[in-house]
Order: sequence, then C-alpha cells, then structure tokens
Amino acid sequence: MLEIRALQIKRGARTLHYDLQVAQGEIIALQGVSGVGKSTLLEAIAGFVALEAGHLSWEDRDLTHTPPEQRPVAMLFQDYNLFEHLTVMANLKLGVDVAMQSEIPNQAQALGIADQLDKLPGRLSGGQRQRAALLRTMLRPEPLILLDEPFSELDADTRRLATEWTRTMAERFGKTLLMVTHQSEDVSRLAHRAIHLDNAETGAV
Amino acid sequence: MKLSAFTSGKWAGWPALGLVATATALAFGGLIGFNRSEFDWSYFSDPYFLAILRFTLLQATLSAALSVVLAWPMALALSYLKDSTHKRAFLSLCVLCFVMPTLIVITGIISLLGRSGSLSPLLGDDWNLYGLSGILIAHIYLNLPFAVRTLYLRLQSIPDASWRLARQLKFTRAQRFRRLEWAAAHSATWLLLGFIFVICFNSFAVVLALGGGPKATTLEVAIYQALKYDFNISEALALAWVQLLIAGSAFLLVSFCGKVSWLSPASAPAQLRPPATRLEQLAYRLLYACGWLFLLAPLLALTPRVIHSGVDMEFWRSLSRPLLITLGLGVVSTVLSISLAYSALRPYRRARMQQSPAALWLDWLTSHSLAVPAMVLSVGLFVLLLPHLDLDHWGIWLVAAINGLITVPFAASQLKPALLNFDSQYHRLSLSLKLTSRERRRIEWSYMAPAIRTAAAFVGMLAMGDVAIYSIFGNQDFVTLPWLIYGYASTYRLDEASLASMVFLGVCGLLIFYLEKQSPRHA
Repeated sequence: MLEIRALQIKRGARTLHYDLQVAQGEIIALQGVSGVGKSTLLEAIAGFVALEAGHLSWEDRDLTHTPPEQRPVAMLFQDYNLFEHLTVMANLKLGVDVAMQSEIPNQAQALGIADQLDKLPGRLSGGQRQRAALLRTMLRPEPLILLDEPFSELDADTRRLATEWTRTMAERFGKTLLMVTHQSEDVSRLAHRAIHLDNAETGAV
Repeated sequence: MKLSAFTSGKWAGWPALGLVATATALAFGGLIGFNRSEFDWSYFSDPYFLAILRFTLLQATLSAALSVVLAWPMALALSYLKDSTHKRAFLSLCVLCFVMPTLIVITGIISLLGRSGSLSPLLGDDWNLYGLSGILIAHIYLNLPFAVRTLYLRLQSIPDASWRLARQLKFTRAQRFRRLEWAAAHSATWLLLGFIFVICFNSFAVVLALGGGPKATTLEVAIYQALKYDFNISEALALAWVQLLIAGSAFLLVSFCGKVSWLSPASAPAQLRPPATRLEQLAYRLLYACGWLFLLAPLLALTPRVIHSGVDMEFWRSLSRPLLITLGLGVVSTVLSISLAYSALRPYRRARMQQSPAALWLDWLTSHSLAVPAMVLSVGLFVLLLPHLDLDHWGIWLVAAINGLITVPFAASQLKPALLNFDSQYHRLSLSLKLTSRERRRIEWSYMAPAIRTAAAFVGMLAMGDVAIYSIFGNQDFVTLPWLIYGYASTYRLDEASLASMVFLGVCGLLIFYLEKQSPRHA
C-alpha cells in the first residue's frame, strides 16, 4: 500500500496538504483544476519535491527521506521524457530490465509506434513521443507507476488504444498506478477510482 | 551501482576547481612573497612607468572605441542582407579573425603596410606602421569581427512582432534604429567596449611586434622586458601588480554587467523587417564589400610573398619542428583545459540544481582566471618556481599547463550552456530512470560531444597562438610556430614569416571549419 499521511509541501507562499492511501494494484486518477497540486503530489511521491512535513511510505517502507533513484517508482513527466540525441529504441532500453527489453518491439506494435524505433525523438509527433515514453514507463520494473497527463497529446482513437493498453499492462504486471488527467473518459476506461483534489491548500484531499 | 553520477560524486569536480584556484593562488604567492622587503614604491612615480601606463590606457581605449563604432554599421548592413553562402562565410571569417593567432595577422599587416608593404607607397613618405597606428590597426582587425558578430546576433534577436509593429506604426529609419536596433544592442555595445578594452589592455604580441620602442609599449610588454632582458624582478612585479589591478577590476566590472554571446547560432531571420531603400541597400552592400576587403587584405597580402618566397628544404625542415611542437602544445593544453573545465563545472551544476546561492561564486571561481592576465600568472609562477625548478628543462610542460589553465574559462563558457541544458532537461529523467554512473556518463558525453568539439577547437586555437606565456617560459630548445613567425617578422624576413603564417593559417582554418560545422545553423 502507498500511504501518504499529513504530507505538507511548500509551493511559493502556499502550503499544500495531502492525505491518501492507495492499495497495491489499484489504479487511481487524480483530477482537479490547474494549479491545485496534482503534479506536485506525483513529484513528491517520486522524490523530486522537498517535503515540509508528513509521512510517505510504500509497503510499510518509509520513503520520506529516500532519494528519487532509490524509490520503487517509475514516472512519466509532462515533458522531457526522452533523450533527444538517442534513438527511440535506445531511449526505451534505458531503465528497462534486459529480460523485459525483448517485449519492446511487440508492445511498440501494440501502441502503433513500431516504425519509429530507429528514429531520433525529434522526428516523432507529440503523440508518438508520448506513447514511446509511456511504453518505457510501463515496462520498467518498479511497482509504482506515476503518469502525469500521459494521453494529453493523443487523438480520440489513439487515446482509447493507449488507455486500454495501459490498463492491460498494469494488470499483467501488477502495477499500482497514479495518473493525473483532465479527461473523465480516461477515468472511466482506466481507473478503479478517481480522487478529486479540490483544494489541496486546505487539506481537502 | 544504484546511485546516479550526481549523488555518487558528491565531491566530483572539486579537485579540478581546487587546481584552477591553487594555480592562481600560487601565482599570487609568488608575486607577494618575492623580494617583499625590497619592493620599490617610488617606481610608481617614475616618468617611464607613467608613460607606459598612459600609453597602455590610450591604445586600449582607442582600440575598443574604434572597433565598436566601426562594427555598428557593419552589423546593421549584415542584418539587412539576405542569408547567403557568402554571408555565412563572412560570419565564419569573423570567428577566424578573432581567434586567429595574432602573429599571422601581424605578418599580414606588415606585408601590407610595413616598410616594404604592398600598400605603403600609397600612404606617403611619413607613413610609419610601427607605434600607435600599427597597434590600433592590428587591434581593430582582431576585435572588429568579434564586435560585428556580437552586434549582428543581437540585431537578429529582434522579434518579428516588433518589426510588424514598427511597420504598422510607420517608423522612420531613425525611429527604427532608436526604438528597435539600438534598444536590442545597446547593452552589448557597452559590454563590447569593456571586453575589447580588457583584451587590448592585456595585448602582448601585437605591441611586442608593432610597438616600435619605448614610446609605444604597454604594461604587458614592459613586464616581459623587465623579466627577460633586464632580469629586474622587482620592476616586473610592480608592473604585474598594476596590470592585475587595472585589468582585473575592468574585467570584474564588465563581467558583472553581463556576458557577450558571439559564438551562438543566429536565430531565425526576421521575415517582417522593413526592406531597405535603394540608397540604404547600396550603402549596406558597400559596407559589406569593405568588410570583406578589410578582413581578407592582410591574409591575401601573405600570398605573393608565399608564391615568390623561393625557400629551400632547409626552411621546411626548420618549420616542421615548431609546427609539431605547437600542435603538441595545443593538444596537451586543450585536453587539460577541457578536462579541467568539465570537472570544475560539476560543483556549480550541483549547486544550481539544488538552487544553492553557492552557485554564483562557484561559477565565478571556475572562470576567475579571466580576470588574471596571462603575463601576471606567468610571472607569478615564474618567480615562485625559479628557485625550485629547472625552468629551461620544464619550460615546455609549463607552457602547456599554464595555457591549459588560462583557457579554462573559455572552455567553460562553451561547455556550460550545453551542460545546463542537459541538466534542466534530463536531470530528473536520469534520476527517475535510475541510470548508473556509467550509463549517465555515456548519455551525457554523447549529448555534449558537439559542445566539446567546439570548445576544443576554440581553446586549441587560443593555446596554439600563445606568445605571452611562451615568452616567459620558452627557450630555444622548443620554439613554437608563433614565436618562429615573430622571429622572422622582427628581423624583416617577411617571406619566411608569410609562409609560416600561411601554414599556421591553414591549420586554424581547418579548426574553424570544424568548429562552424558543429553548429546546425551557424551564424
């Protein structure tokens, strides 16, 4: 279980408060207006944001002071997910176990980007880049997956394909997944539960 | 290994930073410690010293002012000319002229305007290249292209939206200049004045070759003469302190005001810039042609002498060893400089990512040697090492090492933007992907390869062209190509000097070609 208790994060003059429990294997959609602190919560779980107070643990292991590279977390950022000077294939192999790398061509086929693997990321469209980054994040060995607006660049059909693929992969590998999204259809297709952050400042989570 | 390069290497980069700082500290130690009790303060009221100081300030001020004033119309002309192969070649030539070893330019100018120069008969009987006129011509030749390129880049950065508004408001030519062009480039103008002043204040080879005697000498050359000819270390130290105080203060003042970017690629050309009138077009083309003529003339002046030189095999044999020594020194200095700069930037990058206020002084510490003239550093280390080392034996290594140290700020200035870009884009991703130190290094180095190549070409050229450090630590056992050219030029063996300069120019041209090729859309 991912447990977040009385977590406080300073953002400029504001202090954001979070309280949250997520069961293992659960898929959570985080929703709320822009600036409410959805991405900040993911960054805090991944270890990229300094915490003011509170407690963060995964499977009873305290992560509060664990550096990002030692957390059981794989995160998809809103941008800069691919090294622009490496091919897509070279990017996809980074952080993925050798045994799992054989899955890359098949899963790229499933996501409709099999033809793009030998190209540099700059040659891909925004949607293709997003799917490539999603593919790698889902194939990584970490049990906890954080996706920050993973489908924002996709058209309706590709979005459907990608959400269904993500759900299949999460279930197949038993991942626990937290996803920031503004689209209610992503919630209905993918998430077990949606959490609406209406005012993180007042601790309404 | 689970930790990333950044957290695993908490102290990574500190030894390099320490080495750069220690070299400066040792040089200062040498200056402070030597003959303290015999320091002659009366020297500062000596008429000879005051004359040197006055001339140093005069030539630096005039060189800076003339370079920048002449660069403005040239940069404006370039900004109005359409993009073309010859315009790109002109901008590449600007880079070459700024970093070209000074002795090549000096030989070219002497071939053109010296006693038996091709243009000298047109200048009348009273014409004398040696003295203030020669120094100014050489300084303008070396610095005008730098100013042109810097101002041109600023003018290119005026957004199309501003040009559209200017057209819609029906601005006159004067209004366009005042409201847009001057507004975009006035800060660069003041910075350029400061930078070129510092460069010319510290000028050595130009003044040594074209100064023409005690009436037209500078602090830098006076230090060299005091040390090498008179072996008057007290005098050299007094001059070095004055040099450091003035050049260092001027440099710090300029560096606090901002930075001039001149090697970066140009932004997309403005589409909505109002077209020039026919008269303006004519003026711009004329200026552009004058620019080409000015930059090419000293280089072309070498050609007839090269063709008619009639040198024998003995000359080529005498050239080959200095050429190899210069290339070897260039390689050693470049490897040292790039390695030190890359490592010394690590603590700065770490502090910046942690948003630590220490980033500011770590950045300054990496580039601090810019404020210390090469001659001051050399003299400081010379007097410090003299009692402990056989300087004739170790001279070649000291020339390579000091050139490596002195060029660290130049290497850092080329590497820093790319490294900061890498950090801002990929630091979080690298941590998130849990890359090993080895993986991270492999990815970072492949990203940095173009910047490293550019920095290496730039630093290599500066190190190969060195005359100041060589003049202190060099000896006849290892003559470098610039020193050989200086020897030929100062004894009026201009055919040999031209030929050697042409060979050197070829090496530099290849490096510039390589440097410019690295920019995807070079200016």
